[in-house]
Amino acid sequence: MTFEIDRRNLLQMLGLAAVSGSVLSQATIAFAADTDNVTIGWPSDVPSWDPNLRFVPDAQPLFKMVFDQPLDQSPDLKLIGNLITKWELKPDGMTMPFEIRSDVKFHNGDPMTMEDFKYTFVDRIKSGLKLDIANSWRTLTDIEILSPTSGVMKFSAPTPTAPQWLAFLGSYLVPKKYIESVGPEEFAKKPVGTGPYKLVDYQMNSRIVLERNDAYFGTKPKIKRVTIDIIKDPSARTAAIQSGQVDLTVNIPVREAERLGKTEGLTAEINPFTRLILLQMRNDKGFTDMAVRLAAHHAIDKAALSKAFYGGAAVPLSVPATPGTPGYLPDYKFAYDPELSKKLLADAGYTADKPATFTLAATNGQFPSDFDIARALVQMWQKVGLKVELQQIEYSKYFELNRGGQLPEATLYSFDNATGDPEIFSGYLMNPKMPFGAWKGPEIGDKILKLFVEPVYEKRIAGYKAVAQEAVETGANIPILQSVQTLVRKKSLNYVKYGNAWVLGSTMSWS
Amino acid sequence: MRMFATIAKLLVKRVLTAIPILLLVSALLFCILRILPVDPAAMSLPPNATVQEVEAMRTEMGLNLPLYQQYGIWLNKLFHGDIGRSIHFRQNVTSLIGSTLPATVELALIAMVVATVFGLAGGLFLFYVRGTRAEAVMDFISILLLSLPEFLWSLFLLLIFGVFFEVLPFTGRLSPGFERPVVTGFLLLDSLITGKLSTFFNALEHMILPCLALGIALSPSLMRVLRSSLLDAYQDDYIQQARLRGLSEKRILIRHGLKNAILPTLSLMGVQFGFLFGGTLLVEIIYSYPGMGNLMVDAIRNADLPIIQGAGLTYCIAVLVISIVVDSLYLILNPKLRVR
Repeated sequence: MTFEIDRRNLLQMLGLAAVSGSVLSQATIAFAADTDNVTIGWPSDVPSWDPNLRFVPDAQPLFKMVFDQPLDQSPDLKLIGNLITKWELKPDGMTMPFEIRSDVKFHNGDPMTMEDFKYTFVDRIKSGLKLDIANSWRTLTDIEILSPTSGVMKFSAPTPTAPQWLAFLGSYLVPKKYIESVGPEEFAKKPVGTGPYKLVDYQMNSRIVLERNDAYFGTKPKIKRVTIDIIKDPSARTAAIQSGQVDLTVNIPVREAERLGKTEGLTAEINPFTRLILLQMRNDKGFTDMAVRLAAHHAIDKAALSKAFYGGAAVPLSVPATPGTPGYLPDYKFAYDPELSKKLLADAGYTADKPATFTLAATNGQFPSDFDIARALVQMWQKVGLKVELQQIEYSKYFELNRGGQLPEATLYSFDNATGDPEIFSGYLMNPKMPFGAWKGPEIGDKILKLFVEPVYEKRIAGYKAVAQEAVETGANIPILQSVQTLVRKKSLNYVKYGNAWVLGSTMSWS
Repeated sequence: MRMFATIAKLLVKRVLTAIPILLLVSALLFCILRILPVDPAAMSLPPNATVQEVEAMRTEMGLNLPLYQQYGIWLNKLFHGDIGRSIHFRQNVTSLIGSTLPATVELALIAMVVATVFGLAGGLFLFYVRGTRAEAVMDFISILLLSLPEFLWSLFLLLIFGVFFEVLPFTGRLSPGFERPVVTGFLLLDSLITGKLSTFFNALEHMILPCLALGIALSPSLMRVLRSSLLDAYQDDYIQQARLRGLSEKRILIRHGLKNAILPTLSLMGVQFGFLFGGTLLVEIIYSYPGMGNLMVDAIRNADLPIIQGAGLTYCIAVLVISIVVDSLYLILNPKLRVR
């Protein structure tokens, strides 16, 4: 046992005694200014360090620093090779031959092999472990190993989005040999990946410390040590970046980001990304009449909502897809026209004495300004003669209410899709067999179900574009805004901006 | 000897009383959480799980059984040390609570010390300046302190000392670059055990703001109770007799007044410590403190019923333990109770 009493300790003691702490804080700030290190203030933690275990969109950038995905995405969201170098989904969508790199090593020095692929995506799932990736890869029956670097994924049904899922939620390669020797619990405590950083310290709900993997097969990160402070409270994140306790933070209120952007030494961004804010619609109850659904949509001033709650940075949407993604329709606009709303309601026989009524459900705090947007929607609808009751729900109850058919006519909802693929936007949101969307109408539903097994990419994308437009024009879906991520950083800290809001320490550098 | 025997008797009695209380609390917790319109089976699966998969999970979790049977199974597991498995984290709840509890206990204990120091000093001062203009000022301050909840104090202190003066850290338990020793989970203790004094002081530095936030919010009630207890004590004859014996006012206050007036304050401290445990929820979130409050907020957000049940029981046990400790202290400090 050694006692480290030095001048610094003595100064700390004095500082504590005086409760000034000025001497102590110098140490913290001095560390933050070190160009080998970066400290990020992140709003949420990983649910576990087993990356296959749970689908949590906000945890993906954290996983991506320790683990690798078979495929990756470029900043503009194009699919690119990573652990897999070549892949080709066959025209029937039932098989996908692929080749892997031969120069990848796990953090413990073990080489990455095809066995690891088979283990991660087939054997581990079949072993009965409760892994969320079991649901995304339920059509994957086997990975046939052809050589040490090539194999074939075999599906029980056409799986047109298999390549996209190889770069999406939970699809991270894990080490077979290591997990089998230490067990899944120990693996979650001491994770071993192939990623650009190694996990060196982790304290749940507080701090993640990562150290550069000098044996990384890809571009080596410039920053040697990345510290991620889990700061769940937005005010505390704002304070942390303002005081210099972190070098970069995300998801603080828009007004705070704008204010901090004017502070010396800091820069702020409000970045739209692949998350939709939309209304999930029912096709019954108060929304049986299409005229009411369309009147509700025409009454929404999306630009005003964006300006009021997101500093005008959130892009108003007319289809359930974000700009730049394959399913987006840049030339299609659904008009904001309150007069048309009134006309539609009047033509349908609704009057001031006999107004159309429905309930809107919204979360409070699930995404920035959610309940405020809901309140603004109610006011906009009141102006055209729609009588709306606002009901607050917990996000954790959304799926349960939807499964039980208990959601009200409209629900304000936020839906994340880092891949940008339209199957995971329109497809998931309106597939009547999935729990995401409340719309169960067969006209749209049947078309979506066919697209789920359409293996030809161009045909699939065209199909989704058509069905997205049809959904909006029949009131099956009301897209509102593209969500934004606020990001504040020290001016001298550079990072690469991704269209899906990934913030990766491996892309950062100091100038 | 007699004192220890009395305390031992009390301990046995209180532990025996605690058993039905714990059973009742566990039953209440279990029933209330089951009544909530939340489906643990659905929550434990990814959103794209099918209805059939949810049903299968419901059967596997025993949720299709009558409530009393579910409670029986849960209680049986509890007696075998198994509180359940977290829905969100998919980890053993016992290990999750075990890894977060020390941080909360450490925080609550130091916050209690802060509250006690402020409360006793403030109470003595309030009493000392009774009848003067300073009493009115102190009264106003104590009401002001009392009217702000812990989380507002947290934000206020964070802005003042963390952002405006930039003199104290406010995220986590240690600054980046400090190695975290892991022996007992109590960071202050662990850093001392491993001889890492710089870590000890850094951890202490990180505790100043959350402990102040918790302590300041609790201290006014201690101040006020101590002041009124002292006022009551000063009506008793022994104070007059002490004066007649020529003792100084200061000596009377410390040796006689405070000794008798401290008992109701001690009772209140016991109750307050229970509240303090609950009060850590938001304070831990604001200061990114990795304790049980932070875990509980996660559990509530994710409707993670096994953690809520486990944490609820832990809070209950903590309150019971504290009340036993306070009762024992009461016996030590008050000889009259030992006679009874």
